[in-house]
Amino acid sequence: MALLTPRRLVAAALGAAALLAAMPASWQRGWTPAVGTLLWLPARPLAYGLSLVRVRLRAPDDPYPARPEELRSAMESADRLQGELDAERLRADRLEAQLRELSEVVERDRRGGWRPILATVVERNAGRPPGLLGLDAGSGQGIAEGDPVVTGGNRLVGRIAGGVGAWRSFVIPLDDRRSGRIDALAVPAEKPAAGAGARDGILVQVVAKADRTLEGELESNAPVKPGDAVVLSDASWPHAAQGMRLGLVESVGPLDSNPLRRRITVRMEFDPARLSKVTVKTAAGAAQAAPPAPTAPPAAPAGARKKGKGTP
Amino acid sequence: MRWWVFLPVAILVAALDAALMPAFAVWGHVPHLVPVLLAFVLLYASREAAIGGALVLGLLADVASPALVAGADGPAAAPILGPHMLAYAGAAWVVLETRTWLYRRNTLTLAFTAAVVAVLVSLGFLAVAGVRAAYADEYPLWGGGRAVSALGADLLDALWTAVLAVPAGWLLQRTLGLWAFATAGPRFAFDPRSARAGG
Repeated sequence: MALLTPRRLVAAALGAAALLAAMPASWQRGWTPAVGTLLWLPARPLAYGLSLVRVRLRAPDDPYPARPEELRSAMESADRLQGELDAERLRADRLEAQLRELSEVVERDRRGGWRPILATVVERNAGRPPGLLGLDAGSGQGIAEGDPVVTGGNRLVGRIAGGVGAWRSFVIPLDDRRSGRIDALAVPAEKPAAGAGARDGILVQVVAKADRTLEGELESNAPVKPGDAVVLSDASWPHAAQGMRLGLVESVGPLDSNPLRRRITVRMEFDPARLSKVTVKTAAGAAQAAPPAPTAPPAAPAGARKKGKGTP
Repeated sequence: MRWWVFLPVAILVAALDAALMPAFAVWGHVPHLVPVLLAFVLLYASREAAIGGALVLGLLADVASPALVAGADGPAAAPILGPHMLAYAGAAWVVLETRTWLYRRNTLTLAFTAAVVAVLVSLGFLAVAGVRAAYADEYPLWGGGRAVSALGADLLDALWTAVLAVPAGWLLQRTLGLWAFATAGPRFAFDPRSARAGG
């Protein structure tokens, strides 16, 4: 009697599947990324080509619709610089507070330099869980866990999940519930007075609600209106992510459970599922051999780098 | 079933699902081609080949859908192997038990079966993920929120999948002779001579 009959092979495969399905995630995380990369290898060129077709079929959300190319380029540069400016203002605020509290201590500049890596979104989780975006770049290009990912200059997409492969990495989008709570500042749409700016923002803690929205609470007298920008100001995110835009305030409404506070809904300005190209802001010097990205701003001085925080 | 036909098609379909199908999203609901291919295989292949095919497609789905795994240094993306495999195998078993009731040559039957497969896979996956959530996963595998919401979203995905399964199923039915399925009948057994003659 043959040992390897189709029936026995299927039974063995089913047993293996049941065993794997019962295995805790912590037992799998050590080896499944390598196995997954290997198994996905034949599909990788196909997925890359198909992602280009997808972009042709359904173009990503245009942050600057119906603008001439020169104007779009200028607006993107302006947005990027605005992000940098907001980040520097937040940093200045933090430094000011530190100086006030620890006046006798002279701290070293903790500014973290970053380097942009342009990456293509080649995958999106086909099954459950949804949401993670697969990039065609990984640790080979200098991408590391926790690196922020932006599009359109300063619009924050999310951050890189752990388990970065050599040529593949995954982004946890901001609107993924597993992103956890995010500290942010709502910045009034009106131009702030000279010398002010992001420091005049209203602190708000938001949490992802999926479907491109984040929800938070703020005090009922806070002057936040629909259309105001909301920027990241979360110490657990890397420096390069600070000041990046989470989205625009979509609505501000009453909070039934607490009349002294209001509910704020923030909508991302793009659809993560329809992204084509994104910029990963990696720590400067993370991979010297990586090619320069086309949208490279002047590199900031290299420095210490913070780890991303876990989800709650 | 010819595995050398099935495996490249399975990889192509998995790549299509991961990279191209989001372009056809309607209100955030994405159609999937893997359930269509599985339904096609389930309607014609032998029981062993059908379950084997379901396990292969489940493995590809597990690989293409990394989960967030908690670790000492933050969440990491890692494929969790097994849940989709079991869900696909379970869906395959149910369809295999009922396929004799179906008029298999009709493309609409294939579309209907694809939707049923998609719903069964969703139910199976949520069941496995629900059990795992009790002891194995810090973040539920369905991606957060309530499992019922995930199921609702998957039901709409399945409906959209059924619509797309009509043209995709029609194309697959045209290739029936190539697969050498056990139950497709002698008319659909692949004959190189008739292929050369254009038959």
